[in-house]
Amino acid sequence: MQLELGVVAAAEASASAAPRILAMCVPDLSLQRVLRAREMATIDRRMRAPLAVEREGRILSCDPEARARGVRPGELLAQASAACADLEVVAADVSADRAALEALAEALLALAPSVEIAWPDALLVDASGAHLLAEDEGAGEMELLRRAVALAGDLGLRCRAALANGRAPSRALARHGGGATPIAPAALVEALAGLPMEALELAPPLAKRIAALGLRAVGDLARIPADTLAHRFGVAGLAAWRLARGHDPTPLVPFVPRRLPEEHVDLDAPVDRAEPLLFVLKRMSDLLATRLAGRGLGATRLHLVLRLDPTGEERLDIGLAVPSSAATRWLLVLRERLAELRLPGSVVGLVLTVAQAAPASTEQLVVGDRPERLLALETVLARLQARLGDGALFSAIPADRHRPEAAYLPSTFVSTTRPATGREVVAAVPEGVVRPTRLLAPPQPLMALGEGGRLTAVRFGGRTLRVLALSPAERLAGEWWSDPFDRDYHRATLEGLGDCWIYRDAGDGRLWLHGFFD
Amino acid sequence: MAAAAPEILEQLRETVRRMEGRAASRPGFLTSGRAEIDRLLPGGGFRRGAISELTGGLASGKTAIALQTIAAVTHEHGLAAFVDGRHELYPPAAAALGVDLDRLLILRPGGQGKGDDAARACLWAAEALLASGAFEVVALDVPLLPARPGRIDGRIDLDRMVQRLRAAAEKGGAAGLWLGVPGTRISSAARLDLSRADRRTPALTVAYHAA
Repeated sequence: MQLELGVVAAAEASASAAPRILAMCVPDLSLQRVLRAREMATIDRRMRAPLAVEREGRILSCDPEARARGVRPGELLAQASAACADLEVVAADVSADRAALEALAEALLALAPSVEIAWPDALLVDASGAHLLAEDEGAGEMELLRRAVALAGDLGLRCRAALANGRAPSRALARHGGGATPIAPAALVEALAGLPMEALELAPPLAKRIAALGLRAVGDLARIPADTLAHRFGVAGLAAWRLARGHDPTPLVPFVPRRLPEEHVDLDAPVDRAEPLLFVLKRMSDLLATRLAGRGLGATRLHLVLRLDPTGEERLDIGLAVPSSAATRWLLVLRERLAELRLPGSVVGLVLTVAQAAPASTEQLVVGDRPERLLALETVLARLQARLGDGALFSAIPADRHRPEAAYLPSTFVSTTRPATGREVVAAVPEGVVRPTRLLAPPQPLMALGEGGRLTAVRFGGRTLRVLALSPAERLAGEWWSDPFDRDYHRATLEGLGDCWIYRDAGDGRLWLHGFFD
Repeated sequence: MAAAAPEILEQLRETVRRMEGRAASRPGFLTSGRAEIDRLLPGGGFRRGAISELTGGLASGKTAIALQTIAAVTHEHGLAAFVDGRHELYPPAAAALGVDLDRLLILRPGGQGKGDDAARACLWAAEALLASGAFEVVALDVPLLPARPGRIDGRIDLDRMVQRLRAAAEKGGAAGLWLGVPGTRISSAARLDLSRADRRTPALTVAYHAA
């Protein structure tokens, strides 16, 4: 008796010390995934037929319409077809189901530090930080639960959720329990008591032996003295008893996404206009963006593959001006690109992939920056980049080079926040030195005309232009190790042109027009 | 409390401005950064929500005025854009004129040519920038062919395009600076003719024509 009391006390204490876990169970995952894919691909909603998922010749699950027509899970395919002649049957796809679960796990990382995939139909979310979501812990856990279910809904998946101490108890409550409220540690044994014995997911031989005793509910097992179970079933029996009393201190096995997300859709009818494609792309973008946001990333490059009817495909590589996990920004760019696309055939499928991503840093506003302005900036940059292509828009960084045409480097325009770029700032032009506002690339040849070694005029564009003023030479030379240059630059006032930047190449003595002081 | 937030923010901006010793900006106008030009402009600067024209030859100083206006904007932490259709803007000179290069977006649409497509791309980009509301000033240097005034390559109706730019500027509240060459003229809110600077005049001379 003393031994049993000690075991019970230890079990109660360790149950309350187990981590708080939010378990999310996706019932009929295969069916939900297929329905979601069909929803995304559906252009004409009138084309829907009753749907069922089969595995090894038996119905695994079916939608409400098929159920209403007499189809039942577990029955043979032939029986189902007899009950519903126009039943659309889709084979179960384990890898696709796993991918759907991983996608949900990826998105849930936005709410919690770690998520475990409890195959085949559940996710376990670390709820230890839930108290940060509200003023007290209970309200925080309720908020986490609500947000997680809503997030799954955004991804097109309906979930049952439960929040309790320990992995196994929370998973059991999510799969077999009724309510969706956080279970306090003190109420856990009572909450588990009403669940069927299979909720504990015991090894089949042990489950069979326990069932032979007439124990049907978890509470039946929890009420049996621990030493009796230990004596009868050994260590496995004691472990089952501990589970029945909500004791599972094992830590989560965090899921780490390895690849950037991708979504593909096979359209149910060929499409040859941009609008229906954008409609489908919006749904795909929403899914991808939610997953990417969970990882704190923003896409910088998207790949879109349009599969054409009957064969062939069109590939689009789409750069984004700033890392973004906002689907609306992606759609702006996608709309621009689709608008200018001329396809040789109708589109029958789409694959949208995040090809490149970068941490989506939070904006640090300064006095003068306004959130709505930042949004406007991001939007216009995305549009410009989509239409004009990579490299067409940039900000310039001064470079420490003597060669004038190499004295700056193009860089991604990120300016919404003040400094802290971390880069070494190089003075664009040494103090007291003037440079032209316009630089010609390439420099234009000039023919020098002079008297007594003095430059008096130049021939340019078929005209003779008098030199009205000429500054002393500024020698710019260097880069002997790669592409040597040696030039004497002058600021020259040319009649009819104004102030120009000209140089004499010391290599061949020729005169060049390199810029204008416009 | 929520209603008072914008006022507090405005007071904070004003305090920061005084601490940094910057001149107070005039509502509705952008300073050109040069007092002698501001004096010539009605309102004391380039009008926001409108297109102003800076016309002159290759080395008339129009780009420098645009860059000094941009410098004044970036100094006040505003954003500026330069649609560089000719691919000639030299950023080190812009920095030397006081432009914060981090806050200047440079656009070089398409190839370097003076073709129809390059001009179209410039005008489209300028329209998008002006209408966005993200930029205080947008300078626009379009590679126009002067062969037929009012037409770009004989196909684009320049008046119609400028009308669209004006509407975009009005929508976004940005000041548009059109860098024009002698021979083309657009319908603008104000026009600074810098063509006299091309001649032997030692100092910059500005002639102002109200549109």
